[in-house]
Amino acid sequence: MKKIFSIPLIRGILWQVIGLLIGMGIVAGIRLAMGLPATGPYLVTEHAWVFGGFLGTLTFLAGHGVMGDWFKWWRGEATSDHHEDKPGWEKYFGPSLDHKVIGIQYAVTGLIVMILGGTFALIFRTELALEGMQFLKPAQYNTLMSMHGIVMIVVILLGIGGMMNYLVPLLIGAHDMAFPRLNSFAFWIVVPAAVWLLSSMALGGIETGWTGYPPLSANMKIVGQQMFFLAVFIVGWSSVLGGLNLIVTVVRMRAKGMTAFRMPIFVWASIATSLISLTATQLIGLSFQMVMFQRLFGMGFFDPAKGGNPVLFQHLFWFYSHPAVYVFILPGLGIVSELLPVFVRKPLFGYRWIAMSSLGIALVGFLVWAHHMFTSGMNEYLRVPFMYSTLLVAVPTGVKFFSWTATIWKGKIDNPVPTPMLFTVGAILVFLLGGLTGPPNATVSTDLHLHDTYWIVGHFHDTMFGGFMFPFFAALYYWFPKATGRRMNETLGKIHFWLMTPSFFVMSLGMMYIGLNGMRRRIADYDPALNFQPMHLVITIAGYLIALSVLVFFINLIASLRNGKVEKGNLWNSRSPEWLVESPMPAHNYEHPFEVVGEPYDYGLAGSKYVEFAKHK
Amino acid sequence: MIHFVTVGILVMVVAILTYFGATSVGLMPVQASAQAVPIDWMWNWQVIAISFLFALIVVPIFYSIFVFRRKKGDTSDAEHIEGNTPLEIAWTVIPLIIVVTFAYMGAYSLGESRRITDPEAMIVKVTARQFSWTYEYPDGFVSTELHLPVWKQVILKMEAVDVIHSFWVPEFRVKQDVVPGRVTEYRITPNLVGSYKVRCAELCGSNHAFMEGPVVVSTQADYDQWVAEQIEIASANTPEGRGKKLITENGCVGCHSVTAQPGPSAPSWFNLFGEEVHLADGSTITADEAYITESVLDPAAKEVEGYAPTIMKPFTFTQEQIADIIAYIKSLK
Amino acid sequence: MSHTKDKASALQQGILVAVYLAVLTGLEFFVAVSFMSVMVLTVIALVKAALVAYYFMHIYKLNAENEGDHDSYEYKTGTNRLGLWLFLLSDTFVFGGLLVSRFNLLGMERPHLNQTLGLIVTCVLLLSSFFMNRAETSIAHGDTKGFLNGTLITMVLGLGFLIGVVGLEWRLAKLEDVIVNKDVMGGIFYMMTGMHAFHVLTGVIFLFLVWRNGRKGYFTQEQHWGVEAAAVYWHFVDLVWIFFYPALYLIGKVGL
Ligand code: HEA
Ligand code: HEA
Ligand code: HEC
Ligand code: CUA
Ligand SMILES: [Cu+2]
Repeated sequence: MKKIFSIPLIRGILWQVIGLLIGMGIVAGIRLAMGLPATGPYLVTEHAWVFGGFLGTLTFLAGHGVMGDWFKWWRGEATSDHHEDKPGWEKYFGPSLDHKVIGIQYAVTGLIVMILGGTFALIFRTELALEGMQFLKPAQYNTLMSMHGIVMIVVILLGIGGMMNYLVPLLIGAHDMAFPRLNSFAFWIVVPAAVWLLSSMALGGIETGWTGYPPLSANMKIVGQQMFFLAVFIVGWSSVLGGLNLIVTVVRMRAKGMTAFRMPIFVWASIATSLISLTATQLIGLSFQMVMFQRLFGMGFFDPAKGGNPVLFQHLFWFYSHPAVYVFILPGLGIVSELLPVFVRKPLFGYRWIAMSSLGIALVGFLVWAHHMFTSGMNEYLRVPFMYSTLLVAVPTGVKFFSWTATIWKGKIDNPVPTPMLFTVGAILVFLLGGLTGPPNATVSTDLHLHDTYWIVGHFHDTMFGGFMFPFFAALYYWFPKATGRRMNETLGKIHFWLMTPSFFVMSLGMMYIGLNGMRRRIADYDPALNFQPMHLVITIAGYLIALSVLVFFINLIASLRNGKVEKGNLWNSRSPEWLVESPMPAHNYEHPFEVVGEPYDYGLAGSKYVEFAKHK
Repeated sequence: MIHFVTVGILVMVVAILTYFGATSVGLMPVQASAQAVPIDWMWNWQVIAISFLFALIVVPIFYSIFVFRRKKGDTSDAEHIEGNTPLEIAWTVIPLIIVVTFAYMGAYSLGESRRITDPEAMIVKVTARQFSWTYEYPDGFVSTELHLPVWKQVILKMEAVDVIHSFWVPEFRVKQDVVPGRVTEYRITPNLVGSYKVRCAELCGSNHAFMEGPVVVSTQADYDQWVAEQIEIASANTPEGRGKKLITENGCVGCHSVTAQPGPSAPSWFNLFGEEVHLADGSTITADEAYITESVLDPAAKEVEGYAPTIMKPFTFTQEQIADIIAYIKSLK
Repeated sequence: MSHTKDKASALQQGILVAVYLAVLTGLEFFVAVSFMSVMVLTVIALVKAALVAYYFMHIYKLNAENEGDHDSYEYKTGTNRLGLWLFLLSDTFVFGGLLVSRFNLLGMERPHLNQTLGLIVTCVLLLSSFFMNRAETSIAHGDTKGFLNGTLITMVLGLGFLIGVVGLEWRLAKLEDVIVNKDVMGGIFYMMTGMHAFHVLTGVIFLFLVWRNGRKGYFTQEQHWGVEAAAVYWHFVDLVWIFFYPALYLIGKVGL
């Protein structure tokens, strides 16, 4: 028993529960003292839950120990620069400061949460497979659908956190991130948030979709809605702090000779991503906070009866949530750009253009948010400028696509194609379809028909699978040997790919088709007159096949961890520095610092070198 | 060179096949409004662009993978090509021109679909609430059905009483949110006689899926006849008539059904009066005046089995109004 | 850090900037009561912000060349400084969002607030920035006593500001009927001042830690990143108020 509680994760959660109870007690006490009722439909009132949740988050962090060094600093005590992790798996459950451990913590948490989010989808997809309500109530459908959306988005944030944390310091030759403690903090704060997010299912659910528009979200008399807001608010802080850390790391800790245009392309993508998560995230935090306060204190920000404006919420929300979609994809597209040259054995075509296009997407992405609101009743004349700015994003994205095509052109791809390369090509195809279905939404006149239909659902599954899921899997297959010293099974990898890709196309094309013909999103049941049942059945089956393929991946992951083929060297024959040292990566990364002496992707140029290791320290 | 020519031809072939393949499966519902014409025109250009751009990228990639892939025994790297600035500029500028053109076309088609062609357009007031649509016609009566004469410009002035809803008739193409606290406008000229449905397109709570209502486009003569019928019903001043009006205006039928077929989220009122009702706490109660009155004023007091916790909000009515509603419910046999 | 200016001229500069700020605040008030121009008020606020960012927060230090040993205190301070500024950039978006909400919801109306109190708290905060600057320049010249006193005064003034806003203005506003439940005017008022007060409070706590560690002799002329961080954060909170003050007290007509 004692042993279990010495694991920081378990201890943290225990403290979290205690914090929750104390917070509830305090609020209940205050309310009693003020002569107000202290109990509510969910045991105690909403105020108590929210305050308890807030306090519980803090006690989690205190109990877990991730802030230990900071407490020491506040007392004026110095701490050592490096903490050695104990060998073994325990370090993954505690506040490790090693960016590689944190990266793996992010990625694995992401994968676990992905099972949850996917299972939610499978449940409500089963309901949708047939007309009529079979086994869910509409409110339960809404909850599952909303949880699926937000959980999957958290998966993406965790996944890119994993990739960026693990890779960026290795790629730029740093021994760690600039602020290792902050890094650890940014990861661990997600854990209590995830607990709150899931707890909302037991507290009445969330019925508003992941977007949480008021007045609906303000009127729903369920506490789950608040826990959802609280959780997303906390996850937002993880994004902000992670982005901050990453920018500082890249600006300050690059190896000697690594000028801006000699950085690996993934680093550029990470910078662009981090600029967005550093700044825009605050606005979703603010908008959710304002709804929370509207619910708690009656501040009528979005309540027209009190002079508020529901559309203001949408502006604040999308000011983050549109740029956020580029947070979802830029790291993935960075992975694609990073892996292509290795597998086609050619330089990355137009390196500088690709680097700049990431920044271009990120910056233009700040100016387009209202394209989610073309039908919202906002100022009519603003729709046209937002249409122009949105369509403009196609230009830098196009630069990436054309440059990738040119990179692949005449490339010598191994036969049979290795799994990471399969997923890279899959990413390009799927994201292409997702991207190309963007401009019709961006064009106001067609969006008036497309808005809030399954066409949109198809669009964003395509972009998110193509921009995140496929590259994420590619990255996992590719860097797995670096992290573990073993390789994942190729056959299972190929089964995963060939099961997932066609099913995915069937699923998303089917969604788009019914969407165009009148299938609204976020509905628990559809009108039999529309005759959508056959297609819904197909979509559901395709969804199950995707899940099956992911299951194959998990089996592969676990099996390869123990029995995978041992690979300690540069198995992909890459020029990148992390592959020039032995796998798994040593705790403090490069024993000998390296200096950049050439271009990163000069494949096919005899005698060229990217980095040179110092002979001695 | 031969590679470029082959790929060029393949791109065109695949693009054309994609376009015709996509359009032949029927991508849009029937066109039932004048506004749908510019929108479908725009849409068609979108499909053309998507087909072409899709082919433009996919074909060279597959061609390359199949034609240039590593030959057996070859271990060398590929040709060292770093980039090509004129090419990069070309594929920045050409898409730029395309998107600006598309945006211009988009603005044009939007303008077309928003134009008021008839200064004497018919104005109908729409009220959206959880989870029903009600319409107030120029002739003063209220209905839960939207009847429109064909080829007449209509302006819907829409208001929501609780949360955001969205007015969408897929056959009309256009969609417009209905936002509490402001009046939004929906401009439409139906041009095809038929029966359609308005489908609420903004998540508005548990019953959002079922927030649909009939939309009937008919000839002017049929429309006039329908209007005359409605005016007659509205002027009949019986308790049942007043009760029916009340439940229409207050959106009760958005959840409750008045036929033997129960709605998905609320009990049916058909044959309700005088029957035994099974409550969620296991007891039973007879649906008499007192019970119905309480059910309306304080729905959470006694919750019907299978419908707890209730999604019905308390309503405030006068005793006379409740009596009218009960009279109406009694008439449902 | 590499402060080349000597002690006396640093003092002179601090006083000068504080006087400029005070004059501009007076001008702001004058503009508001005489001919209310949003344009002029915005320009004045921007000038004030620029003064604070440059002379008090030393934004130019971000640009400082610190090549050399990556493990040196100087290099690490440069890294920390960048991190802090990015954090402030991020925070700016919260406050910016609040300003946008304020103008979206209230337009050219403002809550009925006590003008005298507003002017007083604004001056208190401004004065606190001056003393914070004193504290920082003192330690940079090795004057520990001056640093401790400056920090202490800043802290006291910060608490004074909190009492003024949360203790008095909130109560007055409630009496004057800007009640939360009444309408969105109250909501915005409490949200903006509350969010700002929360930052002041964390700033005071931060200052307290710095002061306590300073008494233990933790900071030296060469190594005092903690002081610099607290100072920059404190000035940032002041800078936010430079925009919030006109937005809440000066711009528009009183509305209820
Ligand atoms: C990873 C996420 C991701 C990405 C990358 C994108 C990319 C884009 N998205 Fe998407 N989008 C979402 C995720 C994403 N989206 C989500 C989640 C929603 C729904 C949110 C919700 O309501 O829940 C949504 C909704 C959404 C809407 C709102 C629809 C509605 O609700 O009415 C719009 C409207 O403009 C839009 C547009 C675009 C555009 C123009 C792009 C562009 O960036 C695409 C650019 C790419 C290309 C165009 C392809 C490659 C380019 C070329 C080959 C060059 C040549 C091309 C041309 C000349 C056109 N998206
Ligand atoms: C990364 C993002 C992501 C991913 C990967 C997915 C994956 C899937 N999504 Fe979606 N989805 C969203 C993001 C995502 N989704 C978002 C943001 C929304 C909008 C929500 C909103 O409107 O608010 C949405 C909405 C959405 C809808 C629309 C709901 C509605 O509007 O009513 C549908 C409907 O079909 C759907 C289906 C699916 C399916 C079938 C999958 C499948 O691919 C899932 C496949 C399953 C897995 C990947 C998990 C694997 C599970 C196992 C292998 C089980 C094994 C078990 C053990 C090991 C114990 N999703
Ligand atoms: C949002 C959906 C909704 C709306 C709108 C609604 N109801 Fe209900 N109503 C319900 C549900 C769910 C129940 C069952 C649970 C309960 O008893 O509260 C119910 C129960 C009732 C009952 C008891 C029926 C029985 O079978 O025992 C009556 C009577 C009733 N409603 C009348 C009305 C009237 C009159 C209105 C409009 C003025 C109205 N309702 C509007 C959802 C709704
Ligand atoms: Cu009304 Cu959905
Ligand atoms: Cu968007």
